[in-house]
Amino acid sequence: MENAYSFALGAVVISLSVITTWGIMLVLTLIAWLSTRSLKLFPGARQTVFESIVTAIDEAILAVAPEHGRQIMPFIASLWIFLTIANLIGLIPGLHSPTRDLSVTAALAVLVFFSVHWFGIKTQGLKRYLHHYLTPSPILLPFHIISEFTRTLALAIRLFGNMMSLEMAAMLILLVAGFLAPIPILMLHIIEALVQAYIFGMLALIYLAGAIQSQQLNPQE
Amino acid sequence: MEFSTTTFILEIINFLVLIWILQRLFYKPLLEMIAKRKQHIDQSLEKAKKLHDEAEEQRRLYENRQQLWEQEKKAAQSELHQQFEVEKSAQLEKLRRELEQERQKANVTLTRQQEEFQQHVEKQALENGARFAGLILQQTAGPEVENRLFDLLIDQLAFLPEAAKSSLQLADSKKSLIVKVSSAYLLSNDQRQQLEQKLGLLISPLMNFQYQQDTALIAGVRIDIGAWVLQANVRQELAGFAEIAYESE
Repeated sequence: MENAYSFALGAVVISLSVITTWGIMLVLTLIAWLSTRSLKLFPGARQTVFESIVTAIDEAILAVAPEHGRQIMPFIASLWIFLTIANLIGLIPGLHSPTRDLSVTAALAVLVFFSVHWFGIKTQGLKRYLHHYLTPSPILLPFHIISEFTRTLALAIRLFGNMMSLEMAAMLILLVAGFLAPIPILMLHIIEALVQAYIFGMLALIYLAGAIQSQQLNPQE
Repeated sequence: MEFSTTTFILEIINFLVLIWILQRLFYKPLLEMIAKRKQHIDQSLEKAKKLHDEAEEQRRLYENRQQLWEQEKKAAQSELHQQFEVEKSAQLEKLRRELEQERQKANVTLTRQQEEFQQHVEKQALENGARFAGLILQQTAGPEVENRLFDLLIDQLAFLPEAAKSSLQLADSKKSLIVKVSSAYLLSNDQRQQLEQKLGLLISPLMNFQYQQDTALIAGVRIDIGAWVLQANVRQELAGFAEIAYESE
């Protein structure tokens, strides 16, 4: 079914996940533009809602990474916002969550992987950043390397597995039990979508904060 | 569960573009506005704090000024009270002196009035006494008393002071003197002759005697020779008694 919505631009096949992602991007861009078009010092209700969202995200990030929170805030906040909408968009009939596509979750996980190293090197320098792989003992270097890959893989698989299974379960129940029975499952879908978005973003934040502040956590080194 | 490299790469690009868009259109403006509002609030708080501090300073100044005013007021009250006490003392002293003077004046006036009253009463008493004595003597006096007084007059004429005699003799030696003789009872001829003889020897032989009765004399004789009056009668004696008693005071 998914292939029916995809199309090809020459050799490049544009999947439904990409199209949905573009749609989400378009909506987010419109919302962002409209919400910040006429900001006022004394905000109205709409501005207050958006400011509250940004403030809540900002405070959550600063609580984990107080010194470099503002650097990683756009990345983490974008993850949370995109994943929340991407996870919930499956509730709309005819649409599917991009996050049930392993390619999408893998792309996000790889972005997190590279972001960890990018921000780590940016804030500490290459030598000091690489040095933390040798702590507390060089023996642990292989385990550190394995950990880097496995946690990235875990990020991708966790989100993909949960969202795919959730949509599949909802679809099966809908097919088996009729129209009203899937409502509790849909409620569960909402909760699960929010939880998974939060988990993915929070894990990414923790990884980033760990990379940024690895030396600060062990100042004697 | 198919893995699409194209989707993978496009999603990476998509997400990076989304980060850029949200950063430009969403996070940055909102965070700037929040920071601006925070700055505005901080400025307002700072301004409020400044105003509060100024108000506190003004309040302290006002309290200090009020305290100074209170001290000045107390000092002025104290000074005024002292001036009032001094003025009161001076006024009281002045009043006391005036009262003392008034009291002395009143005492003097009272004393004088008492003395005048006493003198008046005494004079009245003496006059009454003289009048009573006169009434008694008027009732008891008679020709015998007059005769005795006439005899006394005749006897006393011989003992007139020389100054009185000379004065009577110098009165007017050229023309006759009018001698008025008043008596309570009409004098007898013998008595008249005795009197004329005595006075003729004593003063001058040229005298014109005029006799008259004057019961007011009670008893006795009164002789008027020009400006001179020789008296030997009860009335004159009573009057003289009263005058002497009055003058003796």
